Amino acid sequence: MGDFVVTIKDLTFKYTDRYRRSSFELVVENFAASGCTAVMGENGSGKTTLGKLVAGILRPTFGQIFYNDMDIAGLTLAQIGGQVGYLFQEPSRQIFAPKPLEEIAMPLELRGVCPEEARAKALEILEKFELSHIVDSVTFTLSRGEKQRLAIAAAMVMQPKYFVLDEPTTGLDKARRQILADTLKKLQAEGMGILLISHDMDFVELMGADVRQMKGGILC
Amino acid sequence: MLKTKPDPRVIFLLVMTFSTFGLLIREDVVAMAGLFVIVLVFAGLLGVQLRRIFGRIKRLMQILLLVTLLRSFFTPSGIVLFAIADVPILTTGGIAMGVLVALRLIIFIIGAAMLTVYPARALIQAMVQMKMPYEMAYMVSIGLRFVPQFAQEMQDSLIALQLRGVEIKKLKLRKRLSLYSYLLLPTLVSSLQQAKELAMSMEMRGFRALPSRTSYFSLSIKAKDYAMMVWVLALATAISFTIFNNNFYEIIMTTIYTA
Repeated sequence: MGDFVVTIKDLTFKYTDRYRRSSFELVVENFAASGCTAVMGENGSGKTTLGKLVAGILRPTFGQIFYNDMDIAGLTLAQIGGQVGYLFQEPSRQIFAPKPLEEIAMPLELRGVCPEEARAKALEILEKFELSHIVDSVTFTLSRGEKQRLAIAAAMVMQPKYFVLDEPTTGLDKARRQILADTLKKLQAEGMGILLISHDMDFVELMGADVRQMKGGILC
Repeated sequence: MLKTKPDPRVIFLLVMTFSTFGLLIREDVVAMAGLFVIVLVFAGLLGVQLRRIFGRIKRLMQILLLVTLLRSFFTPSGIVLFAIADVPILTTGGIAMGVLVALRLIIFIIGAAMLTVYPARALIQAMVQMKMPYEMAYMVSIGLRFVPQFAQEMQDSLIALQLRGVEIKKLKLRKRLSLYSYLLLPTLVSSLQQAKELAMSMEMRGFRALPSRTSYFSLSIKAKDYAMMVWVLALATAISFTIFNNNFYEIIMTTIYTA
């Protein structure tokens, strides 16, 4: 069990932009998650919205979210990144650089780390996630599974204590799912908490997650 | 707000007229402000959500202010309000020119927003009935359909980068620009991929199988649409003669020559 606890208190969320469902409302009365938790539910029930709220990407209309005892309302995304990582449903959206090494080193350089040090750190992370074989590949030609692991590896630069994964098994075959589960279990063993947003019961069982159901915007 | 919206072709004419005036008015701030008011009235009548549009324009405020200041600096005239070593930085005439450029930009934005009150299908049909080749009409419509999607992808990329500890707002301009070039790459790759898939899917459904295309849905211009068109053209002519002091032809030719 990880020590990091995400707590949600009396949360309500409504989309305000025109492209989203204005009638949708997400309600979470009380929710505390540590270790590995899975949120399951039908399409459009609000699972991804909950994941984005936990990762600070969306901000609650009412209510509070805490990382341990810290209210995240005043934190910037860059500060949240040091606590919580996020894997988008479509990993291509979070891969920018043409090369995997650059993908990991670039944000470090932007934060002021010298290029040699950033490169060494990137190589170390790629090795840890067994991605050394793709160092010289072009990121846009990688398989979905490789892109996913690269996106997780890139987020690990910030050494987050909790990770939100949105539908991580979409488009993955059984072998790739196993590789992903092994990677996540390794991170869990290092003390990382995980929030899985998924439809995939087999994967959730494989991860041994506590299951919570989401129905029509309400977390049961 | 109008109970029934006019035919989209009327709005095409309206937007073209306003945009043309926006380009042709070069020095008269009062005329530009008058045009701005007319555009606002029409946009309001059409049901354009002006509050939302101004909310978006607010994000461009820094650029608009910069343009206003630059214009003021490069075209000094009137009373000098602020100068450094006899070099006029802010002048009343310069500020007026800056305001004119800002108003012009806002008129273009609101003009484009006037077209968004119609469904994409109606816009395509309007373009086709205006004798635009249907391939081009579909291209325009598909392009518009993907705008929110690309905006979302770009937004996701920005979020992912910030979650990796990068405070974008604190970056220096040079670094920030290089960062945006990075962020454009996944959006570009994904748009090319989507364009390829969409083209294949359209061809499989017989798009362009025949040189012409018929449509069950058709737009018909009613008497009140004709009346509105005549009214817009009359208004445009009246404004032209008033503002340009009978130099309208000369101004058009100068504009074409300059362009």
